[in-house]
Amino acid sequence: MTAHLRACLWLLVLTVLLCSVLYPLVLYGIAQTVFRNQADGSLIADARGRLVGSGLIAQPFTADEYFQPRPSAVSYNAAASGASNWAASNYLLRDRVAQQLGPIAKYRSGVKAGQLVGPDLERWFQKDRYADKSGIVAQWAALHPTVAQNWVKADKLRGEYVAAWQKAHSQEVAQWVRDNPDTPEPKPEDLAVPFFTSFSKDHPGMFPSAVVTRSVSKGPRTEDKVTRNVSEGPVAEHNTAEGKTTKQIEPVKAGAGIQAVFFDLWLQAHPDADLAPVPADMVMASGSGLDPHITLGNALWQLDRVAAAWAKKTGRDQDTIRGEIEKLLRQMSFAPLAGLVGVPLVNVLEVNLALRERYGKARE
Amino acid sequence: MSQFQVWLLPLLILSVTTALAIPLSRYLAWIMDGRYRGPAFLRWIESRLNTGPQSWSQYAIAMLLFNTLMFVFGFVVLSLQRQMPLNPDGKGMLAPTTIFNSVISFLTNTNLQHYSGEQCFSYFSQLFFVCWNMFLSASVGFCGLAAIIRGLRGDKHMGNYYLDMWRVCAYTFLPASLIMGVLLMADGVPLTLQASAKVATVEPGAMGPDANGQVQEKQEIARGPVAAIIPIKHLGTNGGGFFGANSAHPFENPSAWSNFLTVMNFCLFPFALVLMFGRMLKQRRHAWVIFGVMMTMLIIFIGWAVFWDSLRPNPALTAHPAIAGRPAVPALPVDQSLGNLEGKELRFGTSAGPTFAAATTAIACGSVDCAHDSLNPLAGLSPLTGMWLNCIYGGKGVGMINLLLYLIVGVFIAGLMVGRTPEYLSKKVEAREMKLAMLALLVHPIMILMPAGLFAATDLGVKSTNNPGPHGLSEIVYEFSSASANNGSEFGGLNTGWGLNDNPNPAPYSRPWDIATGLVMLFSRFIPVIAPLALAASLAAKKPTPFTVGTMRTDTFTFGCLLFGTIILLGALLFLPVAVLGPVAEHFGPIPFGG
Repeated sequence: MTAHLRACLWLLVLTVLLCSVLYPLVLYGIAQTVFRNQADGSLIADARGRLVGSGLIAQPFTADEYFQPRPSAVSYNAAASGASNWAASNYLLRDRVAQQLGPIAKYRSGVKAGQLVGPDLERWFQKDRYADKSGIVAQWAALHPTVAQNWVKADKLRGEYVAAWQKAHSQEVAQWVRDNPDTPEPKPEDLAVPFFTSFSKDHPGMFPSAVVTRSVSKGPRTEDKVTRNVSEGPVAEHNTAEGKTTKQIEPVKAGAGIQAVFFDLWLQAHPDADLAPVPADMVMASGSGLDPHITLGNALWQLDRVAAAWAKKTGRDQDTIRGEIEKLLRQMSFAPLAGLVGVPLVNVLEVNLALRERYGKARE
Repeated sequence: MSQFQVWLLPLLILSVTTALAIPLSRYLAWIMDGRYRGPAFLRWIESRLNTGPQSWSQYAIAMLLFNTLMFVFGFVVLSLQRQMPLNPDGKGMLAPTTIFNSVISFLTNTNLQHYSGEQCFSYFSQLFFVCWNMFLSASVGFCGLAAIIRGLRGDKHMGNYYLDMWRVCAYTFLPASLIMGVLLMADGVPLTLQASAKVATVEPGAMGPDANGQVQEKQEIARGPVAAIIPIKHLGTNGGGFFGANSAHPFENPSAWSNFLTVMNFCLFPFALVLMFGRMLKQRRHAWVIFGVMMTMLIIFIGWAVFWDSLRPNPALTAHPAIAGRPAVPALPVDQSLGNLEGKELRFGTSAGPTFAAATTAIACGSVDCAHDSLNPLAGLSPLTGMWLNCIYGGKGVGMINLLLYLIVGVFIAGLMVGRTPEYLSKKVEAREMKLAMLALLVHPIMILMPAGLFAATDLGVKSTNNPGPHGLSEIVYEFSSASANNGSEFGGLNTGWGLNDNPNPAPYSRPWDIATGLVMLFSRFIPVIAPLALAASLAAKKPTPFTVGTMRTDTFTFGCLLFGTIILLGALLFLPVAVLGPVAEHFGPIPFGG
C-alpha cells in the first residue's frame, strides 16, 4: 500500500508541475514574444491610441450611421458570454424576432412596396379591434402572459407603473389573488395580465411606453427647450448643468414600442401582407452573444440606412457615399475557409471603424 | 449558400482526421507497449512511478486510489480560490455544491459546468484545476482501455497504472497540446495573465445603463490563459469551456480554421484508439470493421443534424397550419436560407454548428460551438442519441470500452442464434462475462432514465427548465444523458447553476441538480471501466479455443452488420420512448408553444 501511495504522490506532483506549470509557461513565453496582439485579446486602438474594442468580440452599435451587429442574448457583455437557449418551439423566440422586425419590416410588393409597415400597424392598433373583439392590448396579454410579464420585468419604471396601478385597483388585485391562492402577495409582474386588461379598458388604442423628456437650458434669459420622445431604448436619466433628462411611463398611441410588441398580432390579422424578408442573421442571436460578424447580405441590407446617415452628416451626395461604402464592404468581406464552407461575412467593428475614419473626421 | 459548402466541412473533418489517426495509432501502440525509451531523466521518473505489474484488481484499485487523490486535490484548489494567486479579477469562492459537482465533473472527464467559466474561475483554478484535470482525466480512460486490451490479448498482467498514466499524459497529450496551442494562438486565441480588458466603445454609452441605471462607458472583455486550456480540452475530449459560451466564444474559437482544428482534435484520439486496439491485439482487420461501424453511425448522425438544422429553417419563424383549434400561424418575413441561425456563430461556416453538435456528443467531448438548446427539434435528437449510445468512438478510451460491451452482447446473440457457445477472440463468452457486460451496459440507461423521471415529475425539473412543453423534458433528459455519458455538453437553458457562493439569485434547485448529476457522473464513469477490466481478466484466464470453420469471424462485413444491428436495437429498446416524448413530439408541434 505504501508503494501505491508513494507512486500516487509522485504522479500528482510530477503532473502538476508538467501540466499546470511548465506547459502553460512554455506557451506563455511563445505567446508574449511571437503573438503579442493575439495573446492580449486582439484589442484594437483607434487613431488616438485609445482601446476601442477587440476585433474578435462584438460590441453594440445603435446609431444609424453604423452597421449593427447581430442581436446578443447577453447584451454584448463580454464578461458573461451566452446564448438565448430558446427552443424553436418556444414562443419567446418568435416574439423576440417579431419585436425586432416590427419597426423595420417593409412591404415587398403592391402599391406600398418598399414602405415600412409601421404606420399601417399603428392605425390598426388605434382602431383597437382584433379577432372581431375590441381591446387589442387585453387580448395580447391573455394570449401571451409570459411576454406580458417579461415586459413588466424588463425595466424598473414599468414595474413601478404597474405597482402604482396595483395600489389604485385593489379590487382587481384581490380577485387575482383569489384565483391564484399560491401567490398571496403578487409582485408587479405577476399582475401583468389583469393590469393590461384594465389598461386596455381605460386607454383603448394605447399602450404604456417610456416617454423621455429632455429639457435643455439655453442660459438664464432664454426659455428651456423641451423635447419629448417615445423611447424603447435604454435611456439613463441624468441631471447636468446643460439640462435634464427624465423618463416616465405614459399611455401613447404610436411609436417603435407599439410597432414591436404588436407586430406578430398585426401579422396574424393580416396574413396576406407580402413583406420583404430580412437576412436571418439580423434577427437571430449568436451562440456566444459576441459574434463579431454579420453576413455581407445583412450589411448590404443595412447599407441604405448607413449611407443616408453619413450623407446627412457630411452633407455629401447619398448615392456617391452609398457606392463608396458598398465598395468598402466588398473589400473588407471574407468567407470562412476561403469560401469553401460558408458565405461572405464582414467584421462589424472593423467596418464601422473604417467608416468613422473616412467620414467622421470632418465632424470632429 | 450551396449544398457543396454545407457538406464539404464534415467531409473534410472526417477524412483529414482519419488520415492523421492512422500514424497516430502506430505511435500510441508503441508508447503503450512501453517500447519508447526516453532520456535518463525520463527513465528516472518512470522508475519512481513503476510499482510493478498489476492484476486487474490491483490496476482498478490504483485507478480508484489516484482518482480519490484527484478529488481531494481538486476540492482543495477550488475551495481556496479566493486565497490563491493569479486572480486579478478577484473571484470569490464557489458554492459548496457547485464545487462538489465541478470536481467530480472534471475528474470523470465529463466537464459538465454548472458555473460560467469567465465569471466564476480564477486563472489559478483554470490552470491548476481545469487544465490539470483535463490532462489526467483523459489519461484515465485511455489507461483503462490499454489495460483491457492487455487482458484480451492474454497478457499475464494488466500493466502498471501509474506508469501508463505518465506515459499517456507526458508522451502523447503534452506534445500534441503544445503544437495545437501554437496553432490556436496564431489564429487569435489569447494567452495572458492580465485582468479582463476594459475598452471604451466606439459609440459612447452604447452598452446602455447597468442594473443601477448608470451609463456604462466601457465594455469589459474577459480573457486569460485560454490558449493553454483549449488544446487539451479537445485532445482529451474534455470539453469544459474557459468561457460560458464554450467553443462558440470568439476567444476559444476565433475562426473557421480554429473550428476545423477543434473538431479534428476531439475526433483524433478516439479515432486513433480504435486503430490502436487493432494494432495491440494484432487484429487490424477486426479494428477496421469496428472503425467502419462507428464511422457509419457518425456519418448518419452528422448528416441527420446538418439536414434538419442547416438545410431547414428554424420553425419558430415559419408558417404553420391551423392545429387543434389554434389558428394558422403566418411566417415572419425572415430569409432563412442559411438554416437555423439561432445560437450559431457565422464565422465557422454554414453547417459547422450541427456538425460540431453531432460529433461532440457521439465522441464524448462535450465542447459546443452552437447553442444545442436552440437546435431545430429533430436536429437536437442527434446529440441526444449520440450520448445514449455512447460508443460511436466515444470518450477517450471509454467509448471503445463501451463498444466492446455491445460487441460481447452481439457475439452472444449471434451464438444463441446458431446454437454455439459464443466466442470472442477465440475465448468462450460465458455467464460471468455476460453478467459483467450487462452490469456495465445497464448502468448508463438507469443513470439517465431514473433521475430524469424523478426530476421531470417534480418541481426539481419542472421549475428549472427555460423552455415549455416537450423541449423542457428534453432539457432534463439531456442533462442526465450528458452526465451519464460523461459528455458535459448541455441544453444550456436548464437552470442548474449556483455559481459563486455569494450569488444573490442562484437557480432555485441548483443544489439537487449539483448533487444528482455529480453522483450520476461518478457511477457512470467507474462502473463501466472497472466491470470490463474484470471481464477482460476473466477472458484472459481462459484457454483459447482452436479456430475452426464454425468459428464466427470478427473481421468481416457480416460481423460489422451484426455489431451495427446490436447497437441500434439495444439503443432503440432503451431510449425510443423518451425520444418520442421529447424531440419528436416537439417537432410535430404545435409550434410556437406557450408564452
